[in-house]
Amino acid sequence: MSLLKPFSKLPGLNTASILLVEDEEQFQQSLADVLVKETNVTVTVRLAKSLPLPMDESRPRIDLVVFIINLTSELSFQSAEASLKYLDPGYFLGKACFMVTNARKASVPTERVDAVRKLATLLHCPLLFAEDQTSEGVIGAAERLLTILKVSAGLVPMTTALYLSNLTRCTLPPDIDQPSFD
Amino acid sequence: MERTEESLTSRTPLHSVVGQRRSKNRSYHQSYRSCLGVASRLGLTPAVTARRLNTNRKASKPHNIAEKVNPEYLALLVKTEWQLSYVTPLYQFRHTQLKSYARQLSAFIVAERQQGLAVEVGTLQNSFKVSLSVVEGMSEADDDPETVLIQIHSKSLFPRQDEPQKLVWSGWLTCINGSPEYLNSLPKDFTCLPLFCYKGAENLSSLVKSWFQRIFDCCFGPLEINHTSLQWLVALWTNCHTEATIKHLKMLWTVPSTPPLQVTYTVEAQDAWELWSSVRRASRGRGDEAGWIDMGEVTSFMQAIKSHFYRHFKLDLSAGALTQVSTALGSAKFSGRIKISSSRCVSTTLNLLTECALLKMPI
Repeated sequence: MSLLKPFSKLPGLNTASILLVEDEEQFQQSLADVLVKETNVTVTVRLAKSLPLPMDESRPRIDLVVFIINLTSELSFQSAEASLKYLDPGYFLGKACFMVTNARKASVPTERVDAVRKLATLLHCPLLFAEDQTSEGVIGAAERLLTILKVSAGLVPMTTALYLSNLTRCTLPPDIDQPSFD
Repeated sequence: MERTEESLTSRTPLHSVVGQRRSKNRSYHQSYRSCLGVASRLGLTPAVTARRLNTNRKASKPHNIAEKVNPEYLALLVKTEWQLSYVTPLYQFRHTQLKSYARQLSAFIVAERQQGLAVEVGTLQNSFKVSLSVVEGMSEADDDPETVLIQIHSKSLFPRQDEPQKLVWSGWLTCINGSPEYLNSLPKDFTCLPLFCYKGAENLSSLVKSWFQRIFDCCFGPLEINHTSLQWLVALWTNCHTEATIKHLKMLWTVPSTPPLQVTYTVEAQDAWELWSSVRRASRGRGDEAGWIDMGEVTSFMQAIKSHFYRHFKLDLSAGALTQVSTALGSAKFSGRIKISSSRCVSTTLNLLTECALLKMPI
């Protein structure tokens, strides 16, 4: 029962639930504040530090799981990787995505960005780069998440999460493994 | 039935058109890349793929640089803390014309200082004497251009009998074991000396840089030693322990907690060496060539150090950032300062720094 399953419960009417998993528990709070302001759909935001989640019968069906990785900390990446094991494989058909912050900082080694890219490509998940320090950045990230969330919750006609993930999934540039010099 | 068949046939051309377009893009890209040569790979591909250090590194042979280099130059290079920056290739730089360059640079400095700077009491009386010299013997590969040392001495206008000239600024341009592929791809008149280390007053540094930019059409920029390079330095310096004892391995981590913590983690040399050799033994079982250090060994070495710290203090250093590494062989800071404390194993450090400079340099 430690796996989080995507279709174990019935969906609610005009509702969508999103789970934000972040080791540092900072960006998820500001994202949640913006996400709940959405008026067309009733959005339920659940926050977690890592998976597995404790047993809770009242938890609604989670439509989208977002792993937030802060690139300046290696611990954040390792904790997200470790949490992936506790997610049912059904989530990787478009109901899981990665959100990455602080990608532009000079202190971030490129190997870490590459590793996150390779992980997202391996799991066929979209990779979103977000900026968490300004309010415009948070609003922009929340809007992108809402777009994917509405599709995952089945609220957009003629589109399913799997269909959208085919268009938005992360791809690797062809020479990602080549060093610049021998 | 007929209608469905028609719709099916009308769909397939769309797919084939898409397929063709994709392959056209790829071939266009490849031909564009190949006609521009090596330099294009770094220019066209996005920044993520172009900036990557080598994953394999050769542990250098016990290269006793003290035998090849003039000892007074070596004494100048060692035991001072240098600020690093990268330099793009220099146009028409001749190692034979260093004396005329020195004269031009001193004239330039004097002219700039007279150009309406506020009068500084005392220093206006001094004039500057610039000397450029070649430091022979530092380069390892055959393609490397020779290292150039720039020194600025200040002498007062009315010197007393044996007043020595004071060294106010010094810097050196070097290229140790630069990638031969890149060096050969440069056009004929360019000399590539990508690593620039300097120490001294800030206004003199900016004057020297602007003179170089004006005469040789190059660009300077700050060079940080990023997290991966600092990890490489930890491994390489520990690896040199057999030739020159490192006495201790000291690392400075900053952990972003509230309040922010700064952790100084010192490991005894013998323990560091034992840990490193056990990591090497574990990986050598896989059939690695002797002498090559792999990135995986470096990460497992660092992981072992961090987990030891976690076992004792319950603080995971992965959440923080490594900012400084120092051993008896030298110290390196994230902001781009390097200090080489001993003349042994200098070329390993400079090799890594040259590679960092070459990678950071915009072509």
